[in-house]
Amino acid sequence: MHRIFMNLSRFMAVIGGIVLSALIVMICVSILGRTLNGIFHSDIMQTALPAFSDMALAVGVGPIKGDFELVEAGIAFAIFMFLPLTQMTGGHAFVDVFTNWLPERGQRLLRAIAEVLFAAALVVIAVQLFQGTLSKQKSGTTTFLLEFPIWWAYALSLLGAVSAAVVGVYVALMRVYQLVTGVAVLQDEGAE
Amino acid sequence: MTDLMIGVLSFPALVLLIFLRIPIGLAMFMTGFCGLWMVLGSPDVPLARLKSESFTTFSNYSLSIVPMFLLMGHFATLGGMSQALFKAAEGWLGHRRGGVAMAAVGACAGFGAICGSSLATAATMSRVALPEMKRYGYAGGFSTATLAAGGTLGILIPPSVVLVIYAIITEQNIAKLFLAAFVPGILAALGYVVVISIYVRLYPESAGTRERIPYRERFRDFIAVWPVLVVFVSVVGGIYGGIFTPTEGAAVGALGTGLIAYFNGGLSFKTLGESFQVTAKSTAMIFFIVLGAGFYNGFLALTQVPQTIAEWVVGQGLNAWIVLILILIFYLLLGCLMDSLSMILLTIPIFFPVVTALDFNLTSLAELQAMKAMVVIDSGMLPEAVTGDMLANIKAAIANGVELTREQMRALDIRMSKGMANRIETEQVAIWFGIIVLIVVEVGLITPPVGMNLFIINAMDRTTPMVETYKAVVLFVGSDIVRVGILVAFPAITLFLLPI
Repeated sequence: MHRIFMNLSRFMAVIGGIVLSALIVMICVSILGRTLNGIFHSDIMQTALPAFSDMALAVGVGPIKGDFELVEAGIAFAIFMFLPLTQMTGGHAFVDVFTNWLPERGQRLLRAIAEVLFAAALVVIAVQLFQGTLSKQKSGTTTFLLEFPIWWAYALSLLGAVSAAVVGVYVALMRVYQLVTGVAVLQDEGAE
Repeated sequence: MTDLMIGVLSFPALVLLIFLRIPIGLAMFMTGFCGLWMVLGSPDVPLARLKSESFTTFSNYSLSIVPMFLLMGHFATLGGMSQALFKAAEGWLGHRRGGVAMAAVGACAGFGAICGSSLATAATMSRVALPEMKRYGYAGGFSTATLAAGGTLGILIPPSVVLVIYAIITEQNIAKLFLAAFVPGILAALGYVVVISIYVRLYPESAGTRERIPYRERFRDFIAVWPVLVVFVSVVGGIYGGIFTPTEGAAVGALGTGLIAYFNGGLSFKTLGESFQVTAKSTAMIFFIVLGAGFYNGFLALTQVPQTIAEWVVGQGLNAWIVLILILIFYLLLGCLMDSLSMILLTIPIFFPVVTALDFNLTSLAELQAMKAMVVIDSGMLPEAVTGDMLANIKAAIANGVELTREQMRALDIRMSKGMANRIETEQVAIWFGIIVLIVVEVGLITPPVGMNLFIINAMDRTTPMVETYKAVVLFVGSDIVRVGILVAFPAITLFLLPI
């Protein structure tokens, strides 16, 4: 059970990482295109190699259209995909100076409460994002340049948000289980 | 209960939740959510906000810098840049007294130029430098303290993740903040080197000696760090030169370090997957805090707490510098408990309006007018409208620090109104305050007994008791505090690189 959730979270994080990398490459290609476009439009190239420059411009050497919108849609997807792993590994930032002196059982109680609240928040976030997706679909809003419907981006993000909520509920259940039985299922890795 | 009262009482509630080990982002999220509920009388509004707020927060174009810089840091490690930097620095400094420690600080500064996070810099450099320091007989606590302090350079020397967040919540220019952080970052590194040389004279037994390295090798090692230089110059130079946006700069940096890692043989499917996972954990952690802070700050703004506090502080007629120093002391104390990012997201919405409402006399209308007028006068191409008498009057006014008249301004064909001067001064205060706060919260990271960098480094060296690290780090904290004092007293050190 634990292995399944862990592997799922890792898998999603890696997918998010691949999307992040794709965005990075796309931005760099767009910068390159923009720079080349400027060079081909420059006076030097227009007098030295007019035919070649015009041909390059004609085949569309230039910035990627709507790169800004793609980054926004992609990065939201990636970050939602990153959430489950952070949840699974207890990677969220916290202050434990004041609770470290508590007895083991008290600490476990606080951990269980925190994770239950976190699960509730993640479920609310996922449900509201679903509502948001529906309303964006109804309103038919599209992005400015590429004119793709915004709800597509919302729907993609929903994948990560729902997984985070499911993982959040699992983590909360395990923490409560640990509180009751004293058997530790989860280990903390923390974030670097 | 009035809205203002609810807003004010939300602080102790939030702090209590955080101290009960509720994750910081979640605590802010819940307090903001419940606060909105109480003020508005129903949960409908916060729920409706949440329909789009999680998406819009995570899809913020400027914030997408954060995962890119984090990934860049991991690629830099995989590409062996931390080793290359340390080796280069060690060649030049290693044979001096305390030289290996100095080299570690230098390498941290270099790594900070391609990594935006303090903990990552500390952890990466420790892996490289701790074994070397041990080999040459450096005391355990001294070594760990050096690396914990050196790690804080990671966040100060641009690029810096925390500065990006500060820029976004205070609506400042990221490129200008990076530029402003540069000199304080160099000063920090120099300060640590001075501390090391003092330390090894106080405790000669804490550092061993290392043989000299021939110059040929030194140059060879030095040249080997060219990729770091190329990446740093193209990212920071490109952003500053206006060639690309900060987000684009981060993408260029990440791709550049990724390619270097690939060509150095550090990048495989396995290490790539691991970098993705580590980046994922830190990114999601940061963005959840940003989401929670957005909710909490939306609620605070509704209750008008920040404006009220700012008006109250200004109304008290307190000296601006005393208020600033009190705020910094508060940060120093809080910094011992909390990570820098959470702290900045939590407190800047309150303190920023206060600080920008105070008058620090960083610049004045007369000064800015004089600066513009001098450019025209020095150019040697005076407009015809400026007669000999008028020029003499202008020069006299500048010399006496008096504002120029409207006719003089018109004749010189320059513009600088009261409003423009105020905007410039507010921006200067915002940037200066941001850099100082960044340093102060970083001091918290290495302040015993709870500084996070100390724990991370100490965990990597099991033979050194925590107490040894605590003892050795005190001088480094001292140098930080001296530096903060200098930067507060002389704002120009932070601001002189900035264009007006």
